[in-house]
Amino acid sequence: MFYLAAAAIVAGMIRVRHLSHSFGPHQALKDVTFSLEKGDFVFLSGPSGAGKTTLLRILYASLPIQRGEVNVADMNLNRLDSSRVPLLRRQVGVVFQDFKILPLRTVEENIALPLDLRGLAPKHIERRVRAVSRALGLEGHIKLRCGDLSGGEQQRVAIARAFVVNPKVLLADEPTGNLDPELSLRLMELFKQFQAYGATVIFATHSRELMNRHPGAYVMRLEDGAITYANWPGAGVHRPAQTWAEPLARKPASDMERGA
Amino acid sequence: MSRVFVRLARRGCSDLALNARASMGAVFALTLISFLAGIFFMTLATLDRQLGIARAETVFQVYWKAGTDLDQVRSAWEEYLHLPGFVSVKTYTPEQAMNELGTRLGRGGANMETLFPFLSGGGPLPATALVALIPQGQDPEKWLEETSVYFRSQPGVSRVASTPLRDELGRAWKKVSRYVIWPSFAFMTLILGLTAGNTLRLSVLARAHEIEILRLAGAYNWHIRLPFIVSGVVMGGAGGILGLLLLYFLHTQISDVLNFPPLLLRIYFPPPHMCAALVLAPAATAALSGMLAVRGY
Ligand SMILES: Nc1ncnc2c1ncn2[C@@H]1O[C@H](COP(=O)(O)OP(=O)(O)OP(=O)(O)O)[C@@H](O)[C@H]1O
Ligand SMILES: [Mg+2]
Repeated sequence: MFYLAAAAIVAGMIRVRHLSHSFGPHQALKDVTFSLEKGDFVFLSGPSGAGKTTLLRILYASLPIQRGEVNVADMNLNRLDSSRVPLLRRQVGVVFQDFKILPLRTVEENIALPLDLRGLAPKHIERRVRAVSRALGLEGHIKLRCGDLSGGEQQRVAIARAFVVNPKVLLADEPTGNLDPELSLRLMELFKQFQAYGATVIFATHSRELMNRHPGAYVMRLEDGAITYANWPGAGVHRPAQTWAEPLARKPASDMERGA
Repeated sequence: MSRVFVRLARRGCSDLALNARASMGAVFALTLISFLAGIFFMTLATLDRQLGIARAETVFQVYWKAGTDLDQVRSAWEEYLHLPGFVSVKTYTPEQAMNELGTRLGRGGANMETLFPFLSGGGPLPATALVALIPQGQDPEKWLEETSVYFRSQPGVSRVASTPLRDELGRAWKKVSRYVIWPSFAFMTLILGLTAGNTLRLSVLARAHEIEILRLAGAYNWHIRLPFIVSGVVMGGAGGILGLLLLYFLHTQISDVLNFPPLLLRIYFPPPHMCAALVLAPAATAALSGMLAVRGY
């Protein structure tokens, strides 16, 4: 197919222990604990307002850690100096729920942005951008201003920008929210491909259809800031009956709704 | 590294084009500010030159009786060129004085005699000469007295006035000017800079979203600042230069408006250091504010 994820990705992993986060009186995350190894793929589900975006924001250091411990891509975020935050963000590809693309810039410029910041050679950047935009079906729009694109196209630009740097860790916040089911499934294949090359992927979604299509995948459900379901041993579930440390049996994703 | 630098600098310029309306608004504001500061500087420079001009020389105004034979007057003017300590002489025949007055009154050089028929036949205005001389000898008082007598003794001369007052003022001005010129210059430059800085800060605020995106994409602080600094320098510099051009145009229009007897007030263009301040102050502070404004994100 196309060359997207480089094979040279080294250990990328995420460790979160007893993470809590409050916005004023409102507790958005409650004692969240889980860990993901290199090459893991997890669906992060949960109702609106459950804390999915909050969790992801902490993982790319866009929110400070109030309580708990977080490690991402071999960096301890508790001790990460603000001057080193860019280093972390260069290891982590993020697809934002609200896209965060530059509407006045072209598709090409938006996708190339992280590569530009790394000072790569124009020829190399062009090749990467072309490969990624072809993979996402954007090759016909490359010279258009992002503000003129449809919602689904803008979302694909946001995905392309996360893919283009070959991240060790991919955090995707509702990356298929604006796409039709068929396109969503195709995109899932791309995320899976990254996983296959060793990237660690967290994929926040509401779509049960998408999760049902990948029955073997890890699933973690957040409700009101706490993990109420997780189907792999590295995750702690905050339930009266279990402590976070108690490993859960691995269950297929389709069990999730029953389990939650 | 240098590749990133060039790229970011170029981005700073293309950002201006992308946010065309906002950047044009900022440049426009900066132009007006620096134009205003320029007018202030021009006033300052004119004051300085006008008050300082008679520092070493004394100007005699010689008025002839109306209707004096012009040949006689002209030969007197010839003589003045050879006086000891001669600096300059400005002369006006009655017609010149009339036309001058006519122009100043806004008649565009219309023939005064058709407007005012009673003026025909020499007119009521006298021939005049303004003679600037450097005082000679040890005793300036004595020299002033003697020279006045010399002018008065010429045939047809009705009145002679000298400018000791202006001379005194000039000397006094020379003493205080350094306490006035530099502080006002610095103060105005400061105002210019602050206003430019604020204007540019607004344009940074308008682009907060963009800054956030750059940060999330792994940009270092200087990645974000550099384009703002570049566009700040470009906008501040452009505003300053446009303001200076406006000032130049204004100066060509008004420099001689008051330059006729008896006012003889020439308006001077600000000296180079003030012109430089008009361009550099907004550019530098715009750059600085671009740098500082980014700090909060
Ligand atoms: N910056 C903030 N200030 C105050 N409250 C916030 C802030 N960010 C999030 N919250 C609150 O924290 C809770 C969790 O929000 P979050 O965005 O993480 O939910 P989510 O699971 O991503 O929801 P959705 O599926 O709708 O995107 C919500 O109740 C939200 O209102
Ligand atoms: Mg969210």
